[in-house]
Amino acid sequence: MRNVAIIGCGQTKHSARRRDVNLAEMVGDAVWNALEDAQVTPQEVDAFTVGNMQGFGGVAQPEQWLGDWIGAAGKPVLRVATGGSTGGCVAQAAFYAVASGLYDIAVATAWEKHSDSKEPGATTGLSHVALGNTINMINCGLSFKHLLSMTLVGAAAGVACYQAMYYMYRSGSRVEHLDMVAAKDRRNAAKNKYAHLQWPGCTPEDIAKTEWVAYPFRYGHICPASDGASAMVLACEDIARKRCKKPVWIKGLAAYSDEENQIMSEGAGGIGILDASQQIGATMSAIKAYRMAGIRDPQKEIDVAEIYQPFPNQELIFAERLGLFDEGTAWRALEKGETDINGRMPCDPSGGVNATNAIGSSALQRILECALQIMGKAEEHQVPKEVHNAVATGWGGATNYIAVTVLGDSPY
Amino acid sequence: MPYIKEERKETISVEGDWDIGGSTTWKDSTLLQGYAQGLKEKRIIGSLCPGCGKVIVPPRNICGRCHRKMDEKVVVSDIGTVTCFVISAPFAKGKMQVLGMDPVETGLVGEGERVISVYVKLDGADSNIDTELIGAKPEEVYVGMRVKAVWAKERQGKLSDLEAVEPLRD
Ligand SMILES: [Zn+2]
Repeated sequence: MRNVAIIGCGQTKHSARRRDVNLAEMVGDAVWNALEDAQVTPQEVDAFTVGNMQGFGGVAQPEQWLGDWIGAAGKPVLRVATGGSTGGCVAQAAFYAVASGLYDIAVATAWEKHSDSKEPGATTGLSHVALGNTINMINCGLSFKHLLSMTLVGAAAGVACYQAMYYMYRSGSRVEHLDMVAAKDRRNAAKNKYAHLQWPGCTPEDIAKTEWVAYPFRYGHICPASDGASAMVLACEDIARKRCKKPVWIKGLAAYSDEENQIMSEGAGGIGILDASQQIGATMSAIKAYRMAGIRDPQKEIDVAEIYQPFPNQELIFAERLGLFDEGTAWRALEKGETDINGRMPCDPSGGVNATNAIGSSALQRILECALQIMGKAEEHQVPKEVHNAVATGWGGATNYIAVTVLGDSPY
Repeated sequence: MPYIKEERKETISVEGDWDIGGSTTWKDSTLLQGYAQGLKEKRIIGSLCPGCGKVIVPPRNICGRCHRKMDEKVVVSDIGTVTCFVISAPFAKGKMQVLGMDPVETGLVGEGERVISVYVKLDGADSNIDTELIGAKPEEVYVGMRVKAVWAKERQGKLSDLEAVEPLRD
């Protein structure tokens, strides 16, 4: 297996409605920005991996529309879709393409264009996930009241609502800690010119003033639906060392699923044996990725984390699953400011998914943001310490699918 | 070759519909029908894994962890423990719709009512069912609360036969 590095990054401005561009133009912008950053011409790219949430924006096969715009005509294009973790898997697929020796330069790009969907939350796409199960349950006489309690209580925040409750119960943390994470992420986003929900000086008290969606979530806790795209250029070691002053090496990666965590599966069979906050898939992915990267003690060796956290409880849960804090203590570290941009273990200095959620793109952005931190190119949201190693996550599938990627300033 | 990046004027937006409605034929096992039939006799059925010994309710064909068939069916208790709960914001007319219907307008919930959705681990089961907690105020619910099934008066072998759970008071 060959060493693989990220040699260029590109993204677009994220906002609720990017009506100034269409899908192909928007993804094109991210890819061109990445190519420009890497000083690579479109002709030099050997292969592309692309992805977004399937069916979102009302487009079934977006790669066929945007292929020309990203310079992929006549080249291999692989589309990957794993729900919320899509971007992480798109990047990992590009890694495989180069690490295998099949291609020397690959571009990974991911996106979402929510505003092309008429209905909020892109129901068209989400219906793919649960439609069959739900229809089967209705056929078996599911009452409208039960459907209401199932969907309406959790709808806006889905399983994350229950996940937050499980975590708070298990760790002893409270809703105030969700307020603190959300406020920190909006403050961080204010320093990131590409981010969506920017709120300079946002305090936990500001978040606590927002209306309840469903206890324990307030509106202020929840990510926006963003339009935007991101892209990275990956290259083999020879090219990376020649072409890039500070290549960022993909040192370890893994994507595991945990079936016992699923909220509803075959025949609506229960809601899992594990509680929704356990996320064994994240633990398994982290162990595998760290081993591959040669990281023995993540608390000492990881300098910054970009965690997929559309809901604030997830930053705490995944930080623990990544071994950055001891079990059930991430909220104490949060209280001490350790996860702040200038803290001991900065989590989501970019503002993360909580501030910007172009779903397909979100997990790729986490890797991209880690790369920017290692390259020292994160500008205003650069963490004020040396960054040698960073870790990025993606979360998706039917709540059970995790992608973890470990990056570093050296391949070893 | 220069990079293609330019300022663009507003794109045009073309309206369109993509009907993915109920026109699919989804093949499912008959497990859920069997489960619903059991409810008619107030029996809650789960499937037992011969590998790990865990009981999943409603039943599944295959244990996700052991990847073994779960052919044996067992009956679990209609009494269990709340493992997680979520409380809705107060419902209000015109605020939201489910399947094109307004839950307040249809009389399903009252104006200002808060619905408590709970995960319950029934005694004898290893997985949770999701249902509604009735007969308790939002501030009364807690993890570990003991609850029992509320059965429909006239049961028809439907999922709706198991209406909700209520606090177990003795
Ligand atoms: Zn088993």
